[in-house]
Amino acid sequence: MSTVARPLAPGADVPLLAVDGISLSFGGVKAVTDISFAVRSGEICSLIGPNGAGKSSLLNVINGVYRPQRGRVVYDGVAAARITPRRAARSGIARTFQNVALFKGMSVLDNVLTGRNLQVRAGWFRQVLGLRAAREEADGHRRKAEEILAFLHIQAYRDTPVGKLPYGLQKRVELARALAAEPRLLLLDEPMAGMNLEEKMDMSCFILDINRDFGTTVVLIEHDLGVVMDISDHVVVLDYGRKIADGAPAEVRDNPDVIAAYIGSAH
Amino acid sequence: MFLSETGQFSTRYADDRRVFRLRQARLGIVALLAFAYLAVPLWASDYWLSAILIPFLVLSLAGLGLNLLTGYAGQLSLGTAAFMAVGAFAAYNFQLRVEGLPFLASFLLGGLVAAAAGVVFGLPSLRIKGFYLIVSTLAAQFLVEWALTKFGWFSNFNPSGVITAPPLSVLGVDLSSPAGRYLLTLAVVTVLFVVAVRIVRSDLGRSWMAVRDMDTAAAVIGIPVARTKLLAFAIGAFYCGVAGSLWAFAYLGTVEPHGFDLNRSFQVLFIVIIGGLGSILGNFLGAAFIVLLPLLLSNLGGSLLSGVIAPGDTENLQKILFGVLIILFLIREPEGLASLWRGLRARARVWPLRD
Repeated sequence: MSTVARPLAPGADVPLLAVDGISLSFGGVKAVTDISFAVRSGEICSLIGPNGAGKSSLLNVINGVYRPQRGRVVYDGVAAARITPRRAARSGIARTFQNVALFKGMSVLDNVLTGRNLQVRAGWFRQVLGLRAAREEADGHRRKAEEILAFLHIQAYRDTPVGKLPYGLQKRVELARALAAEPRLLLLDEPMAGMNLEEKMDMSCFILDINRDFGTTVVLIEHDLGVVMDISDHVVVLDYGRKIADGAPAEVRDNPDVIAAYIGSAH
Repeated sequence: MFLSETGQFSTRYADDRRVFRLRQARLGIVALLAFAYLAVPLWASDYWLSAILIPFLVLSLAGLGLNLLTGYAGQLSLGTAAFMAVGAFAAYNFQLRVEGLPFLASFLLGGLVAAAAGVVFGLPSLRIKGFYLIVSTLAAQFLVEWALTKFGWFSNFNPSGVITAPPLSVLGVDLSSPAGRYLLTLAVVTVLFVVAVRIVRSDLGRSWMAVRDMDTAAAVIGIPVARTKLLAFAIGAFYCGVAGSLWAFAYLGTVEPHGFDLNRSFQVLFIVIIGGLGSILGNFLGAAFIVLLPLLLSNLGGSLLSGVIAPGDTENLQKILFGVLIILFLIREPEGLASLWRGLRARARVWPLRD
């Protein structure tokens, strides 16, 4: 892996995110083997595949939670030598987790405000002194947080500790926290897991709205193929850590390898 | 009941951010401060001021320091008394060696030295958590006590390692009377509590709670986890350091390193647990519990059981009773006195705004 950040050739149709030959293993267990795919700016890309296919691991590589043994992640035309979660966040990558990873002791509003921590300019000491600039800045962050709460219809729970909210709403708060960072790339790890049909429809609408209204590029992992085929521009299918299909939803649906992976093949 | 919110709207975010959003709460706090600053020094006896109220205030402050670190930032520590000792001995040395330094400035400098010690002993928190972190802060406790006893320089080569309070005066006003020491302590505690409230409501406070509740998620949204933890150690230890100076100079007058032993750390830890982790008010409630209850028990024991049981046994009985009360209380209310208070407040709100 190169140790210097290097931009790709200018003028090319540069994808926002390119995963290039990523291999990741834990001890002897291979989670992901030589996976490459590209996500164009502004699209909704779904990662699908049976359990254990390596989807979550791949997301964790993209935002620096795991370091791959081989391959590189090119984001916005730059292959960073070393991605850390914080650097990924600074470069505009936000994500949600498969198991809701909220700050349970804090209110919904505080969780969303925490998502804006990278946008905060005034240091803590100036905030404690209550300087005018710091107060005005805090007003701005609050306004933004309120916009997001309104966008996701969770204003009513503003002051509720998130630990007391039902699961479906917690998922929504986690999405709100990710949106608060105003990301360019949003990674969603099973945003609809465990939801009923109505909640899935709501969440799908939110994802489509985020994509359309804010121009946010979305990479999501989802098991509900109906949802995936409806909302995605691009689908990548993994199986046992390898990529078996990559393309528009309609192409992927008819791919014999995908059908085999999902429902088995006649021997 | 009386906590009606009728007609009290927040129309600006600044109004919504206020600590005391309700008019009734603001009136209450003004009345409480007036009582503490005016009525108490006038009418309280010297015994109440110097033996009860001053240690109550100082222990509240030490509790606050530990609560910022443990209750808000989630970093367990048994080094509280060590940080108090560093603060007290550093303040003493600044006072001794810097000519004409106002003693409040030496308190501040003592606090800063304690903050530096906090950062050093907080370094293990970058790699370890929970019980293991407790053990490493325990090392701070033993190391500091040992160093202050071993190296005479810290106590200006006093043969028994005792340090003595500098003359307490601010701008020429002598504060060495019990009422003066009480007012000094109260003023320092008030300022530092206001600062703490503002810290926990700032972005730093939210980052602390984020690291406490889930550090991986905190890192993923861009919070600098290591810096946040070390800042919690620094600020928590600063508070403990100032509390140590007050303990040494406003409460006891003279103190030796063993005055800041592990028992003191445990005492402050109990205050925080009984008061409520992650609550500012809880520190006062917990300190009141720890300071006042033994007194109450000993007075009760002295009057009710005199003649029935030998005096030595009543003292043991008190300790047993005190322990039993703590256990019972923690079973009934594991989140501490502060949660009891929140419950009462919720009941006092007017229906239908009661939650």
